[in-house]
Amino acid sequence: MRTSRWLMLLAALIAVAAAAVVFGTIHLGLLASWRGLLGQGDATAVFVVRELRLPRIVLAALLGAGLGISGAALQGVLRNPLAEPYLLGVSGGAAVGAVLAVSVGLAIALVPLAAFAGAIAAVLIALFVAHATRSRGDPRVLVMAGVVVGAFANAAIMVLMANSDASTVRNAVWWMMGSAANATWSQVAWLALYVLAGGALLVAMARTVDALALGEDSAAGLGVDVERASRRVYLTASLVAAATVAAAGLVGFVGLVVPHIARRIGARGHRVLLLASALVGAVLVIAADLVARVALPPAELPLGAVTAVIGVPFFLVTLRRML
Amino acid sequence: MLSQTGSLSARALGGALLLAVAWSCDPAPRTPHAVPWGLDDFGDTIWPPAHATRIVSLNPTTTEILFALGAGARLVGRTEYDNWPDSARFVKNLGPGIRPNVEAVLSEKPDLVLLYGSGDNRSAARRFRQAGIVTVAFKVDRIEQFDRVTRLLGRIIGDSARGAFVADTVRRTLDSARALTRGLPRPTVVMPAWDSPLLVIGGGSFLNQLVEIAGGRNVYDSTSAPSPAVAFEDIVRRDPDFILTSPESAQRLKQRARWRALRAMRSGAILLIDTNVVVRPAVRLGEGAMSLVRLLHPEVKR
Repeated sequence: MRTSRWLMLLAALIAVAAAAVVFGTIHLGLLASWRGLLGQGDATAVFVVRELRLPRIVLAALLGAGLGISGAALQGVLRNPLAEPYLLGVSGGAAVGAVLAVSVGLAIALVPLAAFAGAIAAVLIALFVAHATRSRGDPRVLVMAGVVVGAFANAAIMVLMANSDASTVRNAVWWMMGSAANATWSQVAWLALYVLAGGALLVAMARTVDALALGEDSAAGLGVDVERASRRVYLTASLVAAATVAAAGLVGFVGLVVPHIARRIGARGHRVLLLASALVGAVLVIAADLVARVALPPAELPLGAVTAVIGVPFFLVTLRRML
Repeated sequence: MLSQTGSLSARALGGALLLAVAWSCDPAPRTPHAVPWGLDDFGDTIWPPAHATRIVSLNPTTTEILFALGAGARLVGRTEYDNWPDSARFVKNLGPGIRPNVEAVLSEKPDLVLLYGSGDNRSAARRFRQAGIVTVAFKVDRIEQFDRVTRLLGRIIGDSARGAFVADTVRRTLDSARALTRGLPRPTVVMPAWDSPLLVIGGGSFLNQLVEIAGGRNVYDSTSAPSPAVAFEDIVRRDPDFILTSPESAQRLKQRARWRALRAMRSGAILLIDTNVVVRPAVRLGEGAMSLVRLLHPEVKR
């Protein structure tokens, strides 16, 4: 990818982040936002900028980066342009965990933990099922196992929700629509740990993903232990996705659409593709969260809906050019 | 492979545990000068506000009570659902009461925020406290909760006498409704609340209490939820004397053939709730009970 493209992406990231600091329900203007960022001026403005908007922006960036990089890695290792973390059971497992936590009346603060545990459980079950078929790293089997585990999770959610009271259902539905509205700095710090560590691990495995993307036989010919390597990539990518789900619920479509956009702007080879996907994802989700905040005042839109509304047209255009 | 994934999952769960601990850290409550006034419906300490002159009430019930307490002029924000009394409409609409827009509330610079005590409002409560605003969450489903919240709000606005007066007036009206129907036969009612899924008013709702006070009996009075989901055949099995519901809901029920399975529907025993007075467990509770007495016991003369 050309340097000018990288610079364009960086400029876009800075621009949307700046817009997200300035715009919101409270009208601040450029100067007041800048002063708020520095901790000067009106106390409300300082709180709004530093404790409400800034953590949201950083959280949105991490969500986008994590989901984008995770999707790009999974599409490569599974050799499937439709692969994304949510397709493979992460979202379903997380949702079961979250709905279960809400419906048995666990403290709201424990819902992310339950979601995280559910996501990891679903991924491990999918891996176990794929392994039990002795398919030796055939990506189709892994996709199938993930989809089936996801379908089972959906059924479990319906059973749980059918017998829950209205506020439990509302809680669960909101959670499934995704939101960065509750971002706090400690949450941001934890997600940063998962996304940066997981992302770095995936970038370090980029050469292996390049080989795996050629197919099992070619990869094996290049000396890659196909089953072991694809399991590692799959687990790392899922872990990153699960952390994002625990932080903000289900933010749909980012993992699917972002790698395609990254390819469109010239990202070739997985090292570049993973990094570009992280950047594109961050830009997309910050922008989507801004739209979610300001589109329909004084209410807020669910982030997951906005990412899909923005992402789908992009995806359709990409799809047309691929055919 | 299994042992490897096992250790990986153990590590992942360990990480998740740390994640959750970080998530659950609430900021320490700000400690102004005074002794707390007990707990709100989130179990959080109620700190007496230094002054409550700019109040945002994101809960139709507390808005209604504040107007009855004569503190309507102190309101600087409400939800889109706060429609009573009429003057509440002049208070600025700040949008939803569940998952409120925190920025919109802060822009009114309130010194007190009253939230609806539903679990999904906890993070908003944390936000407001972080911004130094006294925040109290109430979930009023039952008559006794109305009584408690009214007295507390009286205390919060610095007029405990008025709080006690409003609470006592409602209580006395309810007592006289109860006295009017004492000893009379108690007709049974079902109160459909929603059609799909089929929800009825259950024992956890103030409506169940109002029917009881007005000399009737809800066939679902033994359920603990405010609006449990039930099977249609179960309503038929309980065979209520009356269907008690809002005029709009009655229209819908009449158009659905299956409701003909009920004896009450076939004999036209539908009682229409006056939704101007029977709305939420707030200031109009007494009036609501009286209107139900007239419906359930037309023989009683006031």
